[in-house]
Amino acid sequence: MLEHEDHPNPHPHGRALRLGICGPVGTGKSSLIALLCRELAGRLELAVITNDIYTDEDARFLRAAGVLDADRIRAVETGACPHTAIRDDITANLLVVEELEDEYGDLDVVLLESGGDNLTATFSPALVDAQVFVLDVAGGGDVARKGGPGIERADLLVVNKTDLAPYVGVDVARMLADARAARGGGPVIGLSRTDRASIDELLAWISGVLATHRAGMLMPVDPGPMARHLHAHEHAHNH
Amino acid sequence: MPPHPELLLMLLADARLPAAGHTQSGTAEAALAHGLAAAELPGYVSARLASVTCVEAGTAVVARAVLLRSGGTAQLADVAAAWAARTPSPALREAARVQARALLRLADRLWPEAGALQAVRELIRPCRAVVLGAVAAHVGLGAAALARLVGYDDVQTVCAAALKLVPMDPAVVTGWVHDALPDIDQLAATVAELTEPASIPAVGSPQIEAWAQAHAATSRRLFRA
Ligand SMILES: Nc1nc2c(ncn2[C@@H]2O[C@H](COP(=O)(O)OP(=O)(O)OP(=O)(O)O)[C@@H](O)[C@H]2O)c(=O)[nH]1
Ligand SMILES: [Mg+2]
Repeated sequence: MLEHEDHPNPHPHGRALRLGICGPVGTGKSSLIALLCRELAGRLELAVITNDIYTDEDARFLRAAGVLDADRIRAVETGACPHTAIRDDITANLLVVEELEDEYGDLDVVLLESGGDNLTATFSPALVDAQVFVLDVAGGGDVARKGGPGIERADLLVVNKTDLAPYVGVDVARMLADARAARGGGPVIGLSRTDRASIDELLAWISGVLATHRAGMLMPVDPGPMARHLHAHEHAHNH
Repeated sequence: MPPHPELLLMLLADARLPAAGHTQSGTAEAALAHGLAAAELPGYVSARLASVTCVEAGTAVVARAVLLRSGGTAQLADVAAAWAARTPSPALREAARVQARALLRLADRLWPEAGALQAVRELIRPCRAVVLGAVAAHVGLGAAALARLVGYDDVQTVCAAALKLVPMDPAVVTGWVHDALPDIDQLAATVAELTEPASIPAVGSPQIEAWAQAHAATSRRLFRA
């Protein structure tokens, strides 16, 4: 407590931006976080929280990547309830976010990785200020079109591993177009760690969100646990 | 008019209480991993009620009593020290302290005016039983009800985790909880009258503590503890 009085928060906008990264198993969430740390740690104060189904594997992966001081990477164990821990009972995550913010008074961004789950898991807006949903081309070109709360309404949709498209028979341009249509024009980035331009596009998006947050203009939006009402309606008509 | 204590008890005993209860197994995951058979879980539950959970319940009851006779942080620290002395496993102490933070966070929101919670907040890393004792003191929950709460929550924690680890007909598991209710009452009778830190039962379970230690060191677990 006293420490805070001695070192006033240098960030007039208040606390760090809390950015959630979610999406199905293996789509590249940890890799994306490692990439962001590599690119941003030089100019921003970062911390990472992983949510694992089994212990702290993702945290260990990230610590081993050496992209951020190991103490700034903490694991939340979700008791086999990865959905619950990021949405219904976010207590375990909030405790760690607050602990990190307390220990590192000048954090700019806290990155939270969800436990790899299915297409319906999204973060509560009470836990994160903005969230990125990560798909990959290897999961199939149709996934984006199928939609779901994260695909349709996360603040950003990333279609990852575009470098693999030729090997898995996916038409990336088509998949991105499907994704943009499912999102009503919301931002979509086709990403690959081998494609510098795509990485810059991601960094530009993050900078924009951070600026909005610092200006006090970022309103967390809940992608929701449900499919868009409109879709249910259309289905009803088809029957 | 303050809410009926029964309703407050329901609120605190509800698994939907957002205090990260879903991360806990009451060491059941380690017990199963180290050879306890699923069919032995009812016995495991009883053994806990007679040992580690008895320490937890006794601690909660004494913390409540201390606060009700206007004890402050110093007296509460004695209760916490008595609890720690009776909880030799660092893993169990750590689990109780992490759960305390989650519960305290929630209690701060529900009862921001509670003086009893203020005394807890001034402790260094309080344990869950002390936080529960303070909540009980503040909301007017009786000693026996508080002890039943601790016992019941422990049984449900083990049984809910068991359903994830060794899936079976959930009615069977609820039957285990039901059959443990007399043991919970027995536990409440044992600790309800306690008022002094020194009188908290010193009844650990070396086997449960050893399992808890092993669990803390494993790299493949679903539950935090
Ligand atoms: N080819 C290619 N592979 C990638 C890319 N990004 C990530 N991967 C690989 O995809 C695999 C899974 O990546 P992770 O970052 O562990 O995925 P995750 O979403 O965190 O996985 P979970 O946490 O288990 O759900 C790893 O083998 C990565 O090396 C990419 O841009 N291109
Ligand atoms: Mg990962």
